[in-house]
Amino acid sequence: MAPSPRKTPADTPTTPGTRRALVLGGNRIPFARAGGAYAHASNQDMLTAALDGLVARYGLQGERIGEVAAGAVLKHSRDFNLTREAVLGSALAPTTPAYDVQQACATGLESVVGLANKIRLGQLDSGIAGGVDTTSDAPIAVSDRLRRTLLDLSRARSVGQRLAVASRIRPKDLAPAAPRTDEPRTGLSMGEHQALTTAQWGITREAQDEVAFASHQRLAAAWADGFFDDLVTPFRGQTTDGNLRADTSLEKLAKLKPVFGLGLDTPATMTAGNSTPLTDGASTVLLGSDEWAAAHDLTPLAVVVDAEAAAVDFVHGVDGLLMAPVFAVPRLLARNGLTLDDLDYVEIHEAFASTVLTTLAAWESAQFGKERLGLDGAFGSVDRARLNVHGSSLAAGHPFAATGGRIVATISKELHRRQQAEGRPVRALVSVCAAGGLGLTAILEAA
Amino acid sequence: MTDTYLNLVNSGVTKKIAKQLGLPQPTPLRRHRPGAPLVDGPVLVLGRDGDGDALAAVLSGPAGGAPGATVLDGWDLEVHRHAHPDTRYAAVVLVLTGVTHPDQLAEPVLAAAGTLKGLARGGRVVTVSREAGVDDAPALAAARQGVDGLLRSLAKELRGGATGNGVVLREGVPVTAPSVLGALRFFLSARSAFVDGQLLTVASDAGALPASWETPLDGRVAVVTGAARGIGKAIAQTLARDGATVVAVDVPAAGEQLAAVANEIHGTALQLDVTADDAGARILAHALQRHGRLDVVVHNAGITRDKLLANMTPDKWESVLAVNIASQLRINEALLTSGDFADAPRIVSLASTSGIAGNRGQTNYAASKGGVIGMVRATAPLLVPFGGTANAVAPGFIETEMTARIPAVTRQVARRLNSLQQGGLPVDVAEAVAFLASPAAGGVVGETLRVCGQNLVGR
Amino acid sequence: MTTVVLPAVPSLGGLYARGAAATGRLAVARRVGRAPTDLPDVVHEVRGVRADADHLTEYQHLVGESASDRLPAGFVHVLAFPVAFAVMVRPDFPLPLLGLVHVANRVTQHAPVGLGDALDVRAWAEGLRPHRAGTTVDLVAEVRVGDALVWRGVSTYLAKGVRLAGRPTDEGARSDFVAPQPTGRWRLAADTGRRYAAVSGDHNPIHLSAVSAKALGFPRAIAHGMYTAARALADVGASRGDAFTWSVEFAKPALLPGTVTVRVAPDGDGSTTFAGWDARTGKPYLTGTVVPL
Repeated sequence: MAPSPRKTPADTPTTPGTRRALVLGGNRIPFARAGGAYAHASNQDMLTAALDGLVARYGLQGERIGEVAAGAVLKHSRDFNLTREAVLGSALAPTTPAYDVQQACATGLESVVGLANKIRLGQLDSGIAGGVDTTSDAPIAVSDRLRRTLLDLSRARSVGQRLAVASRIRPKDLAPAAPRTDEPRTGLSMGEHQALTTAQWGITREAQDEVAFASHQRLAAAWADGFFDDLVTPFRGQTTDGNLRADTSLEKLAKLKPVFGLGLDTPATMTAGNSTPLTDGASTVLLGSDEWAAAHDLTPLAVVVDAEAAAVDFVHGVDGLLMAPVFAVPRLLARNGLTLDDLDYVEIHEAFASTVLTTLAAWESAQFGKERLGLDGAFGSVDRARLNVHGSSLAAGHPFAATGGRIVATISKELHRRQQAEGRPVRALVSVCAAGGLGLTAILEAA
Repeated sequence: MTDTYLNLVNSGVTKKIAKQLGLPQPTPLRRHRPGAPLVDGPVLVLGRDGDGDALAAVLSGPAGGAPGATVLDGWDLEVHRHAHPDTRYAAVVLVLTGVTHPDQLAEPVLAAAGTLKGLARGGRVVTVSREAGVDDAPALAAARQGVDGLLRSLAKELRGGATGNGVVLREGVPVTAPSVLGALRFFLSARSAFVDGQLLTVASDAGALPASWETPLDGRVAVVTGAARGIGKAIAQTLARDGATVVAVDVPAAGEQLAAVANEIHGTALQLDVTADDAGARILAHALQRHGRLDVVVHNAGITRDKLLANMTPDKWESVLAVNIASQLRINEALLTSGDFADAPRIVSLASTSGIAGNRGQTNYAASKGGVIGMVRATAPLLVPFGGTANAVAPGFIETEMTARIPAVTRQVARRLNSLQQGGLPVDVAEAVAFLASPAAGGVVGETLRVCGQNLVGR
Repeated sequence: MTTVVLPAVPSLGGLYARGAAATGRLAVARRVGRAPTDLPDVVHEVRGVRADADHLTEYQHLVGESASDRLPAGFVHVLAFPVAFAVMVRPDFPLPLLGLVHVANRVTQHAPVGLGDALDVRAWAEGLRPHRAGTTVDLVAEVRVGDALVWRGVSTYLAKGVRLAGRPTDEGARSDFVAPQPTGRWRLAADTGRRYAAVSGDHNPIHLSAVSAKALGFPRAIAHGMYTAARALADVGASRGDAFTWSVEFAKPALLPGTVTVRVAPDGDGSTTFAGWDARTGKPYLTGTVVPL
């Protein structure tokens, strides 16, 4: 029997029998520091604004998009249908379906991947992926005890039962419960977890500050070049990313006091400068098939080639909380017949500067490659010149669910630009770590 | 931005008081509403020659075109060729193209005079005459130039929101040329509410009558700079209303308002600093890629940095010149050399009465706006070979966020310093822009049309 | 050996009252040299014990388990322990109840126990032995479903300063604890003791409030040892399997409110070692293992 003529994924960006899912553009609102310009804006407000900016940029007013998928990490219970509500408030056709997605900080990228897969299957012709988060307008809940008591009260049938239930309420139950971003199973914050990983890999303070410095430098340069003119629409008077410090320097970063890892044996290295601050913002990505793009006179920027998720057992300290992409990427690249050297761009979400550095360190470790990745040696190294070329979350900020959309839109534009300039295939890797020991990674190619 | 005074003198007790005190009595202006009739009442067409007959025929002809007519659709108006006593005319058209001697002005002008007291509120007087030239016989030139003075003075006498404007035909342009009809219709209509005392020259019979007077910009793609707010927003809205697909351009920092404008008018938003070197290329690329063509560019983006010249700083001077004129020159050059802006293209630039009459504290602004007037005059001939035009609109006192910042007393005075005794609205400027952008305005080349309610200063 | 069949699982509250009285009697008896020196040769038994679903859910949520129909090993302890406790308040029990310190606990879960299972509980005391700080005793409880032994718990108590005959063994000698890399942290709220008391029935005043704990010589209320051990077991997660041993030693009481830094990590051979300690001093609160059978 003759071997089947099936091409490897490396030869063609789509699996035979499916069609291409394209990134056609994106829009986000500038990211603002928590308590800043968006202090009184809700998730729905921000997502609607990001959608409206996208609609305005691409002339999608009244358009029925196949599906809009977006989400928020910190959500009010009233926002049970957040994305649909944002669509209804936007200039899109009210007949546009929508659904909410939640995969912690990977929400935005997962929205892109999910819709891209539906487009590849022919289930959708177009989609808008997105994400939004506010730490300024975070949901405040009543305490667990009060909540249960109130629910019991609503179920009580007689006056006597009601009085009995009501008598359970204690003054301290009335104190509101703010959402915790600590990992539920460990009680450690993300920063504390990353501090453990940082110490484990021996990442220095200087190396972390250099990553932060480069992030600010590159993001500032992109803003100055007008790179974001067709990626960002201002909102509430915020016209650029509020966290960006174009004038920061290694000296200034070196003066900051460490905030995580203070209780460890090793010196604490993680500061407010090399960790992402709490941020408010929203992002969207326009996706579509070739046919839909042509029918709407839109230029395909990038192809969503493939994606791989991974997770680690951080609960039992097997791996660091934010190290899942370390495992996802080798699997993703192997499936597509690629190595790190085949990537023109590597986008690693800067949850912390040390997240990027521990990821790179693990890939560069022969021992880790052999023992944990099942390779013959080290997985490989990433040319820093290809890493986060227009800055990343350390400078832009990180409104959890909005980060994936920011990265995908930014790098898709860059892929298209580079391909136009050089006339050859150009490829990017996107890697986002997330709470719960999750990681989501994807390959994009210039369309 | 509301004109409280205008509201006060038009309502109840305060109206009476104002009248007794002899205060200015501005009238709320009639403005265009889609579907509304061109004029509210009969139109008197004066001028006893072939041109008068031809125009009367167009004005009175059936809207669907006369049975068997191949050329012109009529406007379906009630037209009188003689003044009927006790008739309240909505408009008087004085066709004076045939006058060869000042003596010949008396009959039509005096015939019109008898109707003026009964002119409807928001009425119109439009003269149609020929341009005086150096080769004309002295008496001919005197008669033609006399119309100019007559019209400007008459406009100052009209009250009740009525306006007087003139269409001036260059030698050889037939009275039924598209731009003559287009200009006449514009002046008769509510679209020209704040245009008063102006004479617009039609240089040729270029241009085309639109398939629909309601949506003359159907199928056309227009770019409007500075479209996020104020006059630019009104221009974008008006062009869209007239059928154009609009690319709304403004600086990235104004993106939120820009997106709202684009979404309202079903256009696209392009965040762009017009002073960028590649602004023209990016505008063109966006329009071609997203909408397949580019037909109209409205240079509206502008800034003021007022300072007496004695106190002028380089950055104030340079930034105003860079945004208000240099960017337009650079964008026009990019468009004109691209080969993709060649299907009866239209450039409409925003000048200013400051650029004509001057304004204390605005040497930089006036230099830029004077520059615009010169630019369109010199750019227009470059466009004529492919049916294009370049023209400017010079707004007077317009009620905008910008003029709202003028100190209250100064603002009140500035508002009244014109024949209509009020400030115009952004839409009034936008209507003039839309007319100049329309296919029918193809014979209007290199002109600067003032939208100022006949401001007391300047031409 | 005598078997005393109780009609139902006794209430710990009632037992505490009896225990306090017994402690008083014992003190008097010891002074006159007529105190018992051997463990009573008796087995207490309760048949047909069934878990209540709401009670189970309360327990599971409190210690961080999912609310499944499978009884956590710690919950079986909650059900069975009062039967053993009843042995400790007998007049012929040689150690005073008040002042007994829970120093270790070892549970062997032989098979899963379900919500609907009827449990037969047998409990007795054994292993009375000298300790460097006094005397220790093991309270043993066995749980059967039908004929099958499904659960066996050994709770070791120390009566400080009580010297019975014999030479102290090395048991309970302080090993040098070195704080490992943490994997998590428990923030124990001030009401932790009251909430665990509510689900376990163990209303020992040392757990309930600062005032009641002070009366018994503690600066503040302290967490129930079995609460911390149960949280550690919950943190081990599904890798513990259906059958395992769950051993814990309690080194030092955790004051409430307070923070316990923890490590719950696999050893590589399928078992899991856990520890909880004070990050500031490095002193341990508890250490233990969960080893699949």
